[in-house]
Amino acid sequence: MSDQQNPSLTASKLRYPRRPTEGPGINAVHINRAREMAAVTANARLPSHMQSRGQTARPETTHSFTPPRAVKVPVSLGSIAGSRVSIPGPIHPSGCQNPQCADCGSIIIPAPRSSFPVQDSPVIKVNNWCIYSLKKPILNAQEIEAMEERLDFPVPEMIFGNNHIFIKHEAEGKSWEISFNCYDAIKDCDTISNLKVSYHKEWSSYRSNEKSEVPSFTSQLLKQASPSPSPSGETLQLSAVKPYDWTYSTKYKGTVGGQGPQFSRNQEAEIPISKLTRPDPILYFDEMVLYEDELADNGISIVSLKIRVMPTCLLLLQRFYLRIDQVIFRIRDTRVYIDLNTNEVIREYKEQELLYDEVMRMAKNDFKSAGDPGKLLRDPNWCSQMLPVLRTEREYLKI
Amino acid sequence: MDFDSDVPMEDAVQDQLDPSLGTATAFVATESNASSNITQLDEWIDQLSKCQPLSEENVKRLCKMAIEVLQFEENVQPVAVPVTICGDVHGQFHDLMELFKIGGPCPDTNYLFMGDYVDRGYYSVETVSYLVAMKVRYPNRITILRGNHESRQITQVYGFYDECLRKYGSAVVWKLFTDLFDYFPITALVDNKIFCLHGGLSPMIETIDQVRDLNRVQEVPHEGPMCDLLWSDPDDRGGWGISPRGAGFTFGQDISEQFNHTNDLSLIARAHQLVMEGYSWSHQELVVTIFSAPNYCYRCGNQAAIMEVDENHERQFLQYDPSVRPGEPTVTRKTPDYFL
Repeated sequence: MSDQQNPSLTASKLRYPRRPTEGPGINAVHINRAREMAAVTANARLPSHMQSRGQTARPETTHSFTPPRAVKVPVSLGSIAGSRVSIPGPIHPSGCQNPQCADCGSIIIPAPRSSFPVQDSPVIKVNNWCIYSLKKPILNAQEIEAMEERLDFPVPEMIFGNNHIFIKHEAEGKSWEISFNCYDAIKDCDTISNLKVSYHKEWSSYRSNEKSEVPSFTSQLLKQASPSPSPSGETLQLSAVKPYDWTYSTKYKGTVGGQGPQFSRNQEAEIPISKLTRPDPILYFDEMVLYEDELADNGISIVSLKIRVMPTCLLLLQRFYLRIDQVIFRIRDTRVYIDLNTNEVIREYKEQELLYDEVMRMAKNDFKSAGDPGKLLRDPNWCSQMLPVLRTEREYLKI
Repeated sequence: MDFDSDVPMEDAVQDQLDPSLGTATAFVATESNASSNITQLDEWIDQLSKCQPLSEENVKRLCKMAIEVLQFEENVQPVAVPVTICGDVHGQFHDLMELFKIGGPCPDTNYLFMGDYVDRGYYSVETVSYLVAMKVRYPNRITILRGNHESRQITQVYGFYDECLRKYGSAVVWKLFTDLFDYFPITALVDNKIFCLHGGLSPMIETIDQVRDLNRVQEVPHEGPMCDLLWSDPDDRGGWGISPRGAGFTFGQDISEQFNHTNDLSLIARAHQLVMEGYSWSHQELVVTIFSAPNYCYRCGNQAAIMEVDENHERQFLQYDPSVRPGEPTVTRKTPDYFL
């Protein structure tokens, strides 16, 4: 998994959005921005009483880093490609604390404060679009109980039930919104799963072979646990505890609300990749996990969200990624593209799937595996390039 | 960090000869050999407490010494009170140091760890090396059980294998440790009253004596009682259930009641499952889950907990938050990227 990377490497690998104005040589302003960001991050990790709480949350130390303004950057906030950007957004409950890069105007989103519980809720507004995200710790026992009561099946092990990304368009008293939240994502899981872990057969056959050695009181309990007598009457059979989709394979495409127009199917509506590959400044970026389950160490099931907001458009990617070791790979991507100027929204949903052995074969043949194909198998991005697409659905709307 | 400044050098030898502390007579060595070993161990512990891994050669020596100790421990290792019982650590080395600050330094405080030292976190090598070194240095002050992650198969997928490759350039250290894991005891019995293990109960196991009969020195199997003890989970539903995954048991309150009654136990303490508060009661306080990796995977935001059991079997939970260390992310965070 990518979370195994060495943290000391991560620091040196920090990447900042490339700006179109970047020239050759060392860019003094760029370095300063890196320092600011590092200072913000360092500050955020201090215990709360030691943190410098500036109005803008920009650490005072950055003043000493201010370089001579030798490099003039023409981009200024509020005029980027004709979009109106305001921070904080109007619906943010507690005011936005994100510092803003003096150089290019992009928003520096600091690491969540190392407070408990972890909380992080930045927000931005571009034209009539308001975007915000909320990150909180996994649910506590009471919250889990409440959610399981609503769902009627056990929730995934790591359940970020309060996390969400929320996108809202408001104009002329009307609003349209789409959000991605944990509960709705789990709700849209398949009802049952026919998938089993790789050693399922081995495990079950052991159970039936061993039945004669089962202590008497246990075998009674085994019988009680089985709701119906086994067909043969011979073999002890335990049926699964109330079947549910233990792989948490969701078909969730977001929750749409408000009074605006509805999505309509339109396979022609493709997300404009050329626009998204342009190195426009990223005004706002966030990523989070809605839920994750290690499938009792048989692989991983995870729903993650990423969003980036540029001056003229935004892209949100929700990815469900499932790996059951020695069994199967499954990816279900939902992408939402919004043109912030024309108010067009494209939603694309894509299902990919392939048996584990096939993927393993491709990983072994890939030069990138460098002798360790497992590394590629744990990389959802690599998998998404390799797995065949089973289905693509595109939808379109214009506000 | 020096945890043993006020403990005489002979401690490990004395511990071994103390008849009140169980029957394990590991590590029989001549006086001079033992004291040179102790000096060596103290150096290693000192190095490891700074989060600096041992050399491959020293890991080899440490594992050899550890096998000498662990092979004589029992499947159901007896543990005396007072003791502090801890759950999953998962390579979060700095949080383990925090744990020793919260619970008191070892060997002044007796510790019982219920497995899952490796995988997930960034410092599996340092974490497991440290705990094993402490085990060899103070064999009767610290007990380390086996978790389902102390296995060859699981560590190849969840990080320990990769970490060994990265830190040592080869899989030798991974091989040494996973071979050592086979010797870890699988359960412990605190003062004959609290049954401690990583996962939970097994339908094949009715009495604690049946655990004693198992052959534990092997890779964690995919089925059978040893597998269940390291993998199963308590559940709200009664009886035995099978996970919809197609493998793995859940056990209900009736099962716990019966097991505790049959074996005259007051409590089953286990780890294995992430809980927001660091500990969680099940089955009307017949079963407790303890999880000692705060902010698990550097992103869950959960608290960790340890459970102190005193001479009178009074229990107290100590909860703690992640330690804040420079260089270690409190939250996994990436900078903006042009994803598509």
